Amino acid sequence: MTTTSSAPVSAAEPAEHIIDVRGRRIRVAQAGHGAPLVYLHGAGDLGDWGPALSLLARDFTVYRPDHPGFNHSDDDPSVDTVLDMAFSYLDLFDRLSLDRPGLVGVSLGGWLAAQIAVLAPDRFAKLVLVDAAGLRTEVPTPDVFTLSPVQQAELLYHRADLRAAAVAAAEKITEDPGLFQRYLRNRMASAHLAWNPYMHDPKLPGRLHRLAAPVLVVWGAQDRLLPVEYAHRWVAALGTARLEIIDEAGHLPAVEQPDTFAALVREFLSLGALSPEVGA
Amino acid sequence: MKIFGFHLMPYPDLPADHLDSADSSWVTLSNALFDPHQGHLLYRRYLDELVAYDRAGFDGLCVNEHHQTPYGLMPAPDVAAAVLVPQTSCQIAILGNALPLRDHPLRVAEEVAMLDVISGGRIISGFVRGIGAEYHTFGIDPATSRERFYEAHDLIIAAWTRPGPFEWYGKHYKFRYVNPWPRPLQQPHPPIWSPSQGSGETIDWAARNRYTYLQTYSDIATVRRVFDDFRAATQGYGYVAPPEQIGWSIPVFVADTDERAEAVALPALDTLFNRLMRMPKDVFFPAGYLTPASGARVMAGKQGLGSGSADVRDLVRRGYALIGSPDTVRQKFEAYQKELGFGCFCGVFQFGSLGHDQFLDSLHLFAQKVMPAIRGLGVPHDVPAPIAAT
Repeated sequence: MTTTSSAPVSAAEPAEHIIDVRGRRIRVAQAGHGAPLVYLHGAGDLGDWGPALSLLARDFTVYRPDHPGFNHSDDDPSVDTVLDMAFSYLDLFDRLSLDRPGLVGVSLGGWLAAQIAVLAPDRFAKLVLVDAAGLRTEVPTPDVFTLSPVQQAELLYHRADLRAAAVAAAEKITEDPGLFQRYLRNRMASAHLAWNPYMHDPKLPGRLHRLAAPVLVVWGAQDRLLPVEYAHRWVAALGTARLEIIDEAGHLPAVEQPDTFAALVREFLSLGALSPEVGA
Repeated sequence: MKIFGFHLMPYPDLPADHLDSADSSWVTLSNALFDPHQGHLLYRRYLDELVAYDRAGFDGLCVNEHHQTPYGLMPAPDVAAAVLVPQTSCQIAILGNALPLRDHPLRVAEEVAMLDVISGGRIISGFVRGIGAEYHTFGIDPATSRERFYEAHDLIIAAWTRPGPFEWYGKHYKFRYVNPWPRPLQQPHPPIWSPSQGSGETIDWAARNRYTYLQTYSDIATVRRVFDDFRAATQGYGYVAPPEQIGWSIPVFVADTDERAEAVALPALDTLFNRLMRMPKDVFFPAGYLTPASGARVMAGKQGLGSGSADVRDLVRRGYALIGSPDTVRQKFEAYQKELGFGCFCGVFQFGSLGHDQFLDSLHLFAQKVMPAIRGLGVPHDVPAPIAAT
């Protein structure tokens, strides 16, 4: 939830687009070629591209929007809930003229991906939910809204090297005014969406039957923010879904195990007809 | 000088290892630590102490609202006020009802109007946002705090002043029928106070509405800046705030000598500031409670209340408490008044772990040896009286 910066893997720097969505500017980073893939970021994401997306950009056209109210996108006062944000995303996808993209959502972004796909099930080829918020179980979870940046970094990462780097970055986050304001603004936007009910929508399970696309659930085996029991909850709620648990990874398997993560997503999205030019 | 006595109703009898075992005295400190029998005795004592302000000749007494904490046992300030109405004849300031925490602000309009009518018009109605921790307590999105506060306030004032029934369809509150019975006795409504720690938005809001602005828990440099800002803000609205529209709230302890006052007060202040007020910054200032700009400033500060490690002697030096012999307290008070220009004073004579006799001795020394000398301070001479709130 602090920084996810690692050096991009080979692929060119993503291009940045500012898309006007009903009068509000949404930043979309884009790279790669091939079938469209939309990556929906988590609540603590500070806007970085990251190595996993560079790997996926070899086979897909990867779009990475900043949610309304997050990072480099404008606020949208009409967005108070994940459902509101899902409607806003349907407008963005219209503006981008995306043809049945794959949707990959991490944490809060996973909840959002499921909500968007429930609203418009025919518009998405496949769905990948990664350590996704949105559902609740009796398994206790930490309340991220009570945690400092350092406490979040400690919980977020499994790998000692990444955790140490994230904690060190979090300890200095107040020294970079721009970065710290972005962090606080993201937290404010997250509070609108997920303060209460905490990080879930009680009505979502009763709507998941609307999904038409195949779903892959990916989880970090050592996730301490949303323990792996939540992966099983998703699989049960979805009825049919493939589950892949990535070892040696916490809440962000795309950051901790980018090669494994990208390979799983590539294989899942490429199976069957996502669209003809996959792998071209 | 309007002189009020404030009471927080603390629950100081926490286990000795509290500081080691819990990082917060708010929200998550288990209520298994609360002993209801002890609580009964404390409430009886504290209500007597509030009545003692009235008997000692204070203009009024103050109660307030806090939740899920031994810092204060008054989650329902209107209940505390209701108990005190028949036992007193002075004003009762509710400082305040935390409006955004209510899903039904009309309850506040009803309860305060009821108290005002029963008391014969002795109620002062404070409105606050509630502190950040309380947004965790009630599951209220703190990023909506300010807009809920403003809308709830507007609704309550309308409910008190516009003949009902009328409709209200705001962003946060929606009512087909607004028509509370009773209406308040004081017209157009009870005086409204705005207790705050000095955010620019609240200063402007209180100035615009001509409400009494009350500063709490701050060092003198901050108080001076805030009061100057407030007076400047009132000028922006076409008047100059008279002293009585500017209030200062601070813990007070008076004893025969400075040494004795410090010996008794410092440990009690330590309980107040380092045990009962202890909470993590991210609980104190949750997401969106402050704007990102002011949040960045506050969160980056290394100092601050709530850390559990404040040096209370230093806090006293910086003006967080008024401690000493009657002469010392009077001299400090006169100097502060001259510097700050307030005309309304809310002394917190019971704080932390002070005992009942310690409270009474201090209160009586203040009433006998300090109060007569400061009564004449802060009376407006050459500033125009405020236009009545509308």
